[in-house]
Amino acid sequence: MSIKKLRKLLDNKEISALELTEQYLNKIEEKDKEINSFITVCYESALEDTKKAQEVIDSGKADMLTGIPISVKDNICTLGIKTTCASKMLEDFIPPYDATVIEKLKKSNAVILGKTNMDEFSMGGSSQTSYFGGVKNPYDLSRVPGGSSGGSAASVSADFCVASLGSDTGGSIRQPASFCGVTGIKPTYGTVSRHGLIAFASSLDQIGVLAKSAEDTAYILDCIHGYDKYDATSSKNATGNYTSLIGSDVTKFKIGIPMEFFADGLNYEVKTAVMNASRYYQSIGCEIVECSLPSLEYAISAYYLISSAEAASNLSRFDGIKFGHRCDNGESYDELIKNSRREGFGTEVKRRIMLGNYALSSGYYDAYYKNALRIRAQIKNEYDLIFEKCDVILTPTTPTTAYKIGEFKNNPAEMYLEDIYTVTANIAGLPAISTTCGYDKNGLPIGMSLIGKAFDEKTIIAMCDRFEKDFIRKEAVI
Amino acid sequence: MNTDMVKRLAQLSKISFTEEELAKMSSDMSDIIALIEKVSAFDTDVSMTPNTVDYKSLRADTYKPSCPTEEIIKNAKKVTGNSFTVPKVV
Repeated sequence: MSIKKLRKLLDNKEISALELTEQYLNKIEEKDKEINSFITVCYESALEDTKKAQEVIDSGKADMLTGIPISVKDNICTLGIKTTCASKMLEDFIPPYDATVIEKLKKSNAVILGKTNMDEFSMGGSSQTSYFGGVKNPYDLSRVPGGSSGGSAASVSADFCVASLGSDTGGSIRQPASFCGVTGIKPTYGTVSRHGLIAFASSLDQIGVLAKSAEDTAYILDCIHGYDKYDATSSKNATGNYTSLIGSDVTKFKIGIPMEFFADGLNYEVKTAVMNASRYYQSIGCEIVECSLPSLEYAISAYYLISSAEAASNLSRFDGIKFGHRCDNGESYDELIKNSRREGFGTEVKRRIMLGNYALSSGYYDAYYKNALRIRAQIKNEYDLIFEKCDVILTPTTPTTAYKIGEFKNNPAEMYLEDIYTVTANIAGLPAISTTCGYDKNGLPIGMSLIGKAFDEKTIIAMCDRFEKDFIRKEAVI
Repeated sequence: MNTDMVKRLAQLSKISFTEEELAKMSSDMSDIIALIEKVSAFDTDVSMTPNTVDYKSLRADTYKPSCPTEEIIKNAKKVTGNSFTVPKVV
């Protein structure tokens, strides 16, 4: 059910905040054993949250999210609630503070149901690298839900919550949203404070939202956006009011179709569904403009260099001494740290740290890291040129639909290529939203993405909403 | 990527590996480096743009109380009084 409808039921006292939350908690208890979308379910604190929410509702001072049950990715710090990043390294870590986004949700008296499973430290696109076991796709339990926010996407798709907070470094909200048949938005870099988000790649990371519709993502984004003195990279340009263009005339907007996103490597069924979406927009009066992002071919390489370099630095804080897993053995200070990191990190995290240090080491820095930054600048320039001619860009979210669990187990480099259509929005810092635009022959959701100009979330949300209102969504059956 | 380079990176990364793990990491890294090698082919005079963050809006560098020490050390596995415990350094 949509946030707007739930708001009405709650405000009209047709359902209490407690009843609503209990419905979701019971469903999680009954069904999440199959999906494994949650690492921690907050049974007690969620019920506490409903008491406060009900008091606010009864006083007539509820805002859009008061009493709305939401899940949160387990890399966002929650005061007094375990925040593990799906890693043995942080298996017992209980943050002494709330992330800014959590403070904002609490101010709105939203109900936090629990912390969702993910790829360890957000490094992956399958949600199978979690120390707490992999997540399954609610549409087909033999397939991945995508990642890294796979638990968030699956929890929305399986109707374990109304919406979920995720994070997106190279597609980690949009790709799982696509695989799990839900809507996911990565806002413009700087829109949402990263204070309390456990850092992966700081120049690319951005907190965003997964929900059942573009409209619902907008309500959550209205709550969590905004400048934060605790995040120097947060921006004062994020103005909110993200539903303001919903229902307005979207036919005036020009849609760019970058041809490189439709070249070899794109699954035929995905291509057909996204082109059908383009024809839908054309049929309602939007102008379709062919455009080009020539440097797309370099995007994956640049992304993995930049993100791994930043990760190598960010993850150096995990030494097992101040917090996190500490090895029982280690005669010297150095040995203790090395052994703690060996035991605490999974294989993919170690690979990324090693790659990052390789990219930053002398002899390779110029050829790899510096060139990756040049590619980043070039991609941004190419997007600027496209946006001189159009308002939004339409692309597939992923080259294929959800793949089988274990498919890329022995070939990490091949799995990296799956991020080809999502990484450029992070590289250029642009907002992008993914929604379902079709289903393949196996009934698996196909995602399309709308990329917007910086800080123009309103337009992509309104465009996405218009499509969703005319599209028949098939819910996952679990 | 040869094993010596992987050992050097393991040292830089402060992660210990067994010989078997090093061999597997060496093979994985070779595949990944073949993928990222593509950036070397990018030939343009476009300059590296620093990120567009407006650092003018940094908050004032003023003193204020932080998290209480007892809250901070709760997450450490070994503490002595109000201090983190580490193996003898000197």
